Amino acid sequence: MPNRKLVSFLYGLPWLLTFVIFWAFPLLYSFVIGFTDYRLLQRGYSWVGWGNYVALFHDPAFLSALKNTFIFVIGTIPATTVISLLLALMVNRRFRGRGLFRAGYFVPSITSMVVVALVFTHLFSRGGYVAMLAQMVGLTPPANGFLYDSGTALASIMAMDVWMAVGYYMLIFLAGLKSIPDELYEAAEINGASSLRQFVSITLPLLKPVTLFIIVINSIKSFQVFTEIFVMTRGKFDTSSAVYFVYEKGLTTRYDFGYASAAAYLLFVIIGLLSLAQFALFRQRKKLSW
Amino acid sequence: MRYLFVLALLCIVSACGSAVAKETVEWWQFWTDPGIKPTIEAMIRDFEAANPDIQIKVTDLTWSDGQEKIVIAFNAGTAPDMLEVGSDWIAQLAANGYLSDLSAHIAPDSNRFKGWGMVTYDGKVYGKPWILGTRVLFGNRDIINQTGAAPGFVPVTLTQLQKSALAIQKMRKGEYGWGSNTAEKHRLYKKFLPIFWSFGAQLFTDDNRYCVISSDKGIAALTYYKYLNDSCGYVADQRGVEDAFLDGKIGYIISGDWLLKRIELENRKINLMTTLIPGPKYPGKSFLGGEILVVNEQSKRREAALKFIDFLTSPANQVRFCKANRSANPSSVEAQADPYFAGNPHLVTFIKQINSAICPPVDPDWPLIEDVIEKAVEDALFGRRLVATALRDAQIQITALKSHAKP
Amino acid sequence: MVVRRGGLPAVGRYVVLSAVLAGMLFPFVWMLRVSLLPTGSIAAENLLSSTFTLTNFLDLFAQTNMGIYLINSLATGIITTLGNILFCFTVAYTLARYRTITNRLLFVSVIVILMIPAHIVIIPLYILCVKGGMYDNYWALILPWLVNPIGIFLVKQYIETIPTSMEEAARIDGAGELTILFRVMMPMCKPALAVLAIQVFFTHWNSFLFPYILTQSESVRTLPVGLAMFQGHQAIDWQHLMAGSTIAVVPVLIVFVILQRRIVSGITAGAIKQ
Repeated sequence: MPNRKLVSFLYGLPWLLTFVIFWAFPLLYSFVIGFTDYRLLQRGYSWVGWGNYVALFHDPAFLSALKNTFIFVIGTIPATTVISLLLALMVNRRFRGRGLFRAGYFVPSITSMVVVALVFTHLFSRGGYVAMLAQMVGLTPPANGFLYDSGTALASIMAMDVWMAVGYYMLIFLAGLKSIPDELYEAAEINGASSLRQFVSITLPLLKPVTLFIIVINSIKSFQVFTEIFVMTRGKFDTSSAVYFVYEKGLTTRYDFGYASAAAYLLFVIIGLLSLAQFALFRQRKKLSW
Repeated sequence: MRYLFVLALLCIVSACGSAVAKETVEWWQFWTDPGIKPTIEAMIRDFEAANPDIQIKVTDLTWSDGQEKIVIAFNAGTAPDMLEVGSDWIAQLAANGYLSDLSAHIAPDSNRFKGWGMVTYDGKVYGKPWILGTRVLFGNRDIINQTGAAPGFVPVTLTQLQKSALAIQKMRKGEYGWGSNTAEKHRLYKKFLPIFWSFGAQLFTDDNRYCVISSDKGIAALTYYKYLNDSCGYVADQRGVEDAFLDGKIGYIISGDWLLKRIELENRKINLMTTLIPGPKYPGKSFLGGEILVVNEQSKRREAALKFIDFLTSPANQVRFCKANRSANPSSVEAQADPYFAGNPHLVTFIKQINSAICPPVDPDWPLIEDVIEKAVEDALFGRRLVATALRDAQIQITALKSHAKP
Repeated sequence: MVVRRGGLPAVGRYVVLSAVLAGMLFPFVWMLRVSLLPTGSIAAENLLSSTFTLTNFLDLFAQTNMGIYLINSLATGIITTLGNILFCFTVAYTLARYRTITNRLLFVSVIVILMIPAHIVIIPLYILCVKGGMYDNYWALILPWLVNPIGIFLVKQYIETIPTSMEEAARIDGAGELTILFRVMMPMCKPALAVLAIQVFFTHWNSFLFPYILTQSESVRTLPVGLAMFQGHQAIDWQHLMAGSTIAVVPVLIVFVILQRRIVSGITAGAIKQ
């Protein structure tokens, strides 16, 4: 039906226009710039072909930023996913004060990252509250504070990110939990299945689509971790991330925008490939569960 | 109909007429906090009253992201007529032709203004120094007195400073002898270089051609700095160190005039001592930086901008600014002589220190050099490399940078 | 709701839940406490003292145009949120239901935008805004943000879990496309749209980089930019810093707590039963 085709096109128009007007030019611009030695403050530039990309693979700063980014993603995503699922399961049941707990857990995720990072800079500082907590359980906190020690800085930022993100994903899990029909549990109950059994054979499989959505979005966001690093450590103490590297190269020191653009597109390819893999997984699993 | 048309035309012409008569100078600046913003606005009003043909349109920038905005604007060709920039940006902007050469308009007269070294690049003057900044030694006299030091003791030499800081540490009362910046971009080097220069070390040879950071004196300076840090240092970010100092936990720190502002605004009860950075022989040297007023090369309103620059940097207005912002170092020599500064011993320290303060070389590659220096200091402080190795590597890297720059 | 057996006993559950809640809220309690502390040290003994003051907040309101920033953030936030609810929904609907080539490409463009760091597009976007007359006015704060990729993705995934039977039934009944879209689908998407609305509003409310680069006048300044200006150079104490942060957090928090029952029930009540 040509009519429905037109309708489908019209529905998509808001994004098409936004994309073409606001994003297509910037995307193309930075992609092309990635093949030049363009610097923001320098007049003129020359083409370097794949030179920037080759240089990136030999740049220890980029490789270490990439390594940190992977540590960040691999470290935070399982923790965020598991904790947010546990929270969702806990507040899914009906009990007194449920709303308070839900709201309380959700609060960090609607707060500005700049504010959160500032507060945690203090909490993580030497003699700060996190150090006190560590001492209480018999650990020795780093002498200069958690953020100023190569062994703990990145892990601290990761912990803060998990703290901040779990509420949002808890909410999405809650929406997912609600879409599981009660009849399934009733049937299981009649068959005498334990609650653990019910969780493993009903809840988990049916939550897979939501889980994978959460993992895809969270990976894309985590691969671009920036603000907390900018506010808390400026990439010092082994915390530089890929996007922080892009910022540092492109918008500070020498304003190597060509080089930074290449780094951004390399990161883009990495995220893209990983997302593709996740999508493939998503499709396959969906068939299994639905 | 025709009558109406003529009337409309007349209106347009008269509107244009008044627009031409009034020149609008766009100015981007960083003084945005409530302590100083009203003074900036008042100065603009006064200037406009005195110069009815000029209007100033001011735009505020934040300290954390101001440079981004400036660089993006220069890149896009939308930068304003006039800007306040940090002294460390002059070389990069001037070398790429973004700043107006003001040599013909501004005579670098050291008897009237200080800080010309920061604005001169390639023999040309690219701006006018406005508010200068330096670092001095702050001490907590209550803590120092507890060590049994003579009343009124002031560490004059580096050895005295080290002994006094260690004595504080040895009391084992929980106070630290020395406050030390952790690895912090743009901040760490400003704390280290005063000690470095006080040791008589130099970053470059006198002709500015070769990097000599890892000279014996340079190694001695970093060894000394690391020793203070390791033996009696409270290491944290700048805010953390200053908080701890104001809370009476640290004996000595190196800091700038904003700390005086904090003490006053936060009504801190601290028995404060300030003195010049110590040297092997009194007095030592310090770091010199500052806020510079520059004109965009593309600006069509250079004359008006220059008028405003002269107005802002006039002795009277500099005193006015410093009083409101508790700044200690106006660039104007006449302003420095104002009784306001002489009336406060801590401001006097700053005024004195500026005479023996050194500004880093005005070099487009300075941001890179700065990075290398900070990396070396950081690595030595945190034991990732030996002092001598860190400085030697830094010297090799900076030498490579310089040879790159001048093929 | 089925009452299920097992799990933690009631008391144990409250202990665990409350411990987690304490961990979640402690940084906010600290922030609030510091913002109410008179100037001076923020050491623990002072936090535990009984001295409270509102001066830090009064300073903020007296010395800045906080009212303008709040209104700007609120107004542009509400407009972009409404825009996103409408546009993300229509776009997501067509992406989920019409698997045409153009739609597949459109979806690729959605994902692509998600993966590019903001710092790389900010310069060309700035140039665009300057050339397009959008620099330094409300358009720059609204127009590019009326529909966002995460939102489209979220709603699309949600719509895909909804069976097509309802729409087909409506079509057979002769309902027009718009009726199907807004009368049939939209109510069923409430949970996803509620999450979307929250996410868009708070992202906008907290956004700093783009508003900072794309505007300069005080009349269009948003709250995060205004607060950054307030901090000035080096010399701001924790008290004022946290008072500013509290202003950025608390109003929206209050709105959220008031609306949370509706929002969360909106998210969780639109259960799709198969």
